[in-house]
Amino acid sequence: MSDEHGNGVPVNLSPGGRPLEQRAPHGAPEQRVQVDLSAPQFQVAAKNPKRAERTTLVLFLLALVGFAGFGAAYTQNAGDFWLGISMALGMLMFGLGVASWGMFLMPRGPFEEPRAPMQTTPDEKRLFLGDFESRGKVAIERRGFLAKAMGAAAAVLGIVAAFPLIRSLGPLPKKSLYTTKWRKGSYVTDINNRRMKVSDLDVGSFVTVFPQDDVGGAISQTVLLHPQTTDIVTMKGRETWAPQGFIAFSKVCTHAGCPVGLYEQATEQLLCPCHQSLFDIYAGAEPVFGPAPRPLPQLPLYIDSRGYIRAQAGYDEPVGPGFWERGGTT
Amino acid sequence: MIDRLFNWMDDRLAISRGGRHLLNKIFPDHWSFMLGEIALYSFIVLLLTGIFLTLYFVPSEATTIYHGSYRPLDGAHVSEAFASTVNLSFAVRGGLLVRQMHHWAANIFVGSIVVHMLRVFFTGAFRRPREVNWIIGANLLILAIFNGFLGYSLPDDLVSGTGIRIAFSILESVPIVGSYLAFFLFGGLYPGNGAIIPRFFIIHVLILPLIILGLLGAHLGLLVRHKHTQFKQPGAREDNVVGTPLWPTFMTKTLGFFFLTTGVTALLGALVQINPIWQYGQYYPWKVSYAVQPDWYMGWLDGALRVMPSWEIHFPGHMIPNAFFPGVLLPGVTFTVIMLWPFLEAKLTGENVREHHLLDRPRDRPVRTATGAAVFAFYFVLFGASSTDVLANYLSITLNTVLWSFRIAAIVVPIVVWPIAYKICKELQGTPNAGKRKVHNIVVRDADGGYRTIPAEEYPGYVGAELEPLDVEKIEVLTAAGKVVEPGVYEIPRDYR
Amino acid sequence: MRRARWFSRRLAVPAAVVIAAVSLGMLVWWPASTPSLAGTVLTASVTKSTNHKPNLNLGKTLFDETCASCHGSSAEGSAVAPSLQGLGAGTIDLWLSSGWMPLAAPGAQPARKPPKYDRAQNIDIAQYVASLSNYQGFPIPKVNLKGANVANGFSVFAEICAACHTITGAGDALSGGIIAPSLHDVSKTQIVEAVRTGPGNMPRFSSGVISNAQLSDLVAYVTRNIQHPTSPGGLGLGGVGPVAEGFVGLFIGVGLCVLAAFWIGDRTPRGPLGVEQHGDGEGGSGGDGGSPGPVGDDGGSDREIQHV
Repeated sequence: MSDEHGNGVPVNLSPGGRPLEQRAPHGAPEQRVQVDLSAPQFQVAAKNPKRAERTTLVLFLLALVGFAGFGAAYTQNAGDFWLGISMALGMLMFGLGVASWGMFLMPRGPFEEPRAPMQTTPDEKRLFLGDFESRGKVAIERRGFLAKAMGAAAAVLGIVAAFPLIRSLGPLPKKSLYTTKWRKGSYVTDINNRRMKVSDLDVGSFVTVFPQDDVGGAISQTVLLHPQTTDIVTMKGRETWAPQGFIAFSKVCTHAGCPVGLYEQATEQLLCPCHQSLFDIYAGAEPVFGPAPRPLPQLPLYIDSRGYIRAQAGYDEPVGPGFWERGGTT
Repeated sequence: MIDRLFNWMDDRLAISRGGRHLLNKIFPDHWSFMLGEIALYSFIVLLLTGIFLTLYFVPSEATTIYHGSYRPLDGAHVSEAFASTVNLSFAVRGGLLVRQMHHWAANIFVGSIVVHMLRVFFTGAFRRPREVNWIIGANLLILAIFNGFLGYSLPDDLVSGTGIRIAFSILESVPIVGSYLAFFLFGGLYPGNGAIIPRFFIIHVLILPLIILGLLGAHLGLLVRHKHTQFKQPGAREDNVVGTPLWPTFMTKTLGFFFLTTGVTALLGALVQINPIWQYGQYYPWKVSYAVQPDWYMGWLDGALRVMPSWEIHFPGHMIPNAFFPGVLLPGVTFTVIMLWPFLEAKLTGENVREHHLLDRPRDRPVRTATGAAVFAFYFVLFGASSTDVLANYLSITLNTVLWSFRIAAIVVPIVVWPIAYKICKELQGTPNAGKRKVHNIVVRDADGGYRTIPAEEYPGYVGAELEPLDVEKIEVLTAAGKVVEPGVYEIPRDYR
Repeated sequence: MRRARWFSRRLAVPAAVVIAAVSLGMLVWWPASTPSLAGTVLTASVTKSTNHKPNLNLGKTLFDETCASCHGSSAEGSAVAPSLQGLGAGTIDLWLSSGWMPLAAPGAQPARKPPKYDRAQNIDIAQYVASLSNYQGFPIPKVNLKGANVANGFSVFAEICAACHTITGAGDALSGGIIAPSLHDVSKTQIVEAVRTGPGNMPRFSSGVISNAQLSDLVAYVTRNIQHPTSPGGLGLGGVGPVAEGFVGLFIGVGLCVLAAFWIGDRTPRGPLGVEQHGDGEGGSGGDGGSPGPVGDDGGSDREIQHV
């Protein structure tokens, strides 16, 4: 209990943060409380200690059984169920036992300890700030130009240290968010690298497709639908985009980027399984329900002379969810 | 031997100095003070089970061909991360149990943080001088949620992979820097270049746990420095703490509590399946399952994404995407308000002029209680909204009905909850015995034939209410021989029974 | 021994609850949770569709009795029901065997229910309807799972089916009150019929999208692994994902821990709550802007038990 320095300035070494003013100095018996062991605070909490001992003992024995069972289950490779059950039994019984020991077989209290206000006294503040400022003034401010130079050096270190920490993490977005691998003439290819032909899709069918050079691409993924056998015109300017009823939309939801993989064939809608945005195919995948703010971009298709379904061009707008630089078009 | 070891250590580490105050630290007995301990102990379970998992998990997106005991995946092209998670579930003895315990412990960890935070909020324990600790706690909650999400994403399965895709979109939606943020975290355009799983792994197992550990240390350190708050009760004042000392009573109870928490985790790990990734299969960007949600602590964000109307802000050349509002703005505002709450409340009530160590009963602060209840109800509605499709399926109503119900409920429920909570508080104030143990009366017949009642003991032998707390550092214990044990030492002699 | 009884209530009851819960859990979960991976080993099985020889006359009788009132006597359709001409026997069989048809009442939504007719009668009706037009449509398939590869089936399922039926086959709600049904009780034949004919809002997948080999892999996966999942690790929670898990984690996980805290800690603060205390006297609703200054300046009262 050497909480004091020789100079008499209070120095607090206790974790409780109690200043010395409130603490009884040694040898001041009038501050003390004498109790003997018959004081009710010292009695165990259990009304029947013998019984509490017995129950706690049983709990520890059960815990022993549980832990031993775990060992047996492990060596016998009895499976996760027996491992878990035996461990749970052991842990729970052990916990009940230890807790009941503390709850029933120890002094019931209550006890208290004093609490000093957190707020420091003016003297403490003054002394601390005095030391801090007076030394600082003498040692640092006298050579302020050094402090400035040091600060400048440290600032440069801080800035340049951020470069590799941040910039090395990944490439700059550049234009990658604006484009996909769909080009003029891209073959509509399924995940098994099969170029889709007109004959592959009955009416009411759909398949996830990619450009032939980006099969499996997360951004290029597209749904190819075949709701009818005649051309579909979703809006003005897209008269030729869906020949013979083959129509394709980006599979990346404009809301949060999930694959819009849910084709409702009878109602001719695409539903996003993540947040239930609903897109009307015949209206150019215009969102009709849910949080999606923009239609799914439509891929212009044509059918070549051999019956392969191909892209007239890439998407005419960035696919997927919005981003700051994307611009203001809807 | 132990004495010599102690002396050796003490001479070098000065354990005795200050250590004694730690032994004597008083912990209040009320059960609600133990809620934070659930979080602490489930965090320890997380660390222990997590260490086990790192021994088998391979944090790599490299493609491998699965040849394990689970037939439906035999020969499938999967990532190392997915294959190793399936293998540690099926081929490592006890692996599935540990994995499930880890996941359940994560659910319990975040859940108990929330419950603990609610207790602190409703009793006003965040007030001066504890504002800093409140802010640390709020940051711990944020980190716990983040780390939970990262861990959930590591197996690279179909359900969690969809969550990573949404996370990319949300990052991308941040104005000005969004696409850079997303590209830098994911190592490029989604799905990155194999960097996601390794990065998430090191953040999940090292970086965030370290920060959590540091903040946890600060949280507990401040708790020791401030000492506990306590409820108003006889003997409890602003300038003391009433309860049980750390050694040995509280130590024993809390050790038992640690094992009980572990036991609950083990029980769930053994009995209830969680995240059966082998049923989900490997994530591929073009594959998706319906009925996917994140773990519950991210559920309110997913719900917010669902109920958000399809608005975006467009202006020439730039835009603020839809996902920004529920995905970035909402949590940003939420946690900012949480962290600023002590200061907002102090501003409104003018309370910061002094320290508060005695707690409020929630009913005595009806405005705070009603506000907390309304805000909590709002987030609970959002959490419910994360299962719109599942609810529509089970209740056989249309998605539109469910979605619109949640959109309306998100606004209406808090507005309804506020006055109800306020009214309940006011009513409880008027019934002073509400929530207290009922004291039974015993009817006694006098010798002269009259009747009278005397209050019964709360339970046989109950004396706690009448006892004065003993100051642990001022006690001098008299032994049976009448000798005073060393002054200032709270010691229980050997004849203690 | 009232004292003993009190003690036993405080300690033995929770212990008994835990033991009971553990044993109950063992009883309930024991059969389900012995992960027998051997169970998923595929035994190549040849499954023939029923060998029933269709009886068109009986089919016509049943059709006239049940279907003709809406669909017309030669299935040409009516104002309330579509034409069935040109639909294959597979389509008719699917709608009958799933109980969607006949409707509970004219104009009702098709709902899954026990089929009105038995297997043979369904086939009779289906073949009869198919015989009404020259275009034969999709016939009732014979599903042969010999050599089917569930791993391929799983891959196809995750790519195409899971988006609506969920990856665990639990089913989920689509827009407009329509559901993608659970796949836990569908037959091999029904799966093939549904994939090829696209009932209701379901797309139809031609062999250009899902080949016959892929389809048998898919059927094998659904009937073997979706319907009989290898489910180590305990109770499966319906396969609806993390929301159900969250409720268990919160209400059972956190709940049990809070109960444990409730058991270990004091229930109510000792003595009367809200008694005016010196030092912090407000018991009311408003702020207590009064009593400024540091606390503890009024300590040191006469609460010691015994001064020496």
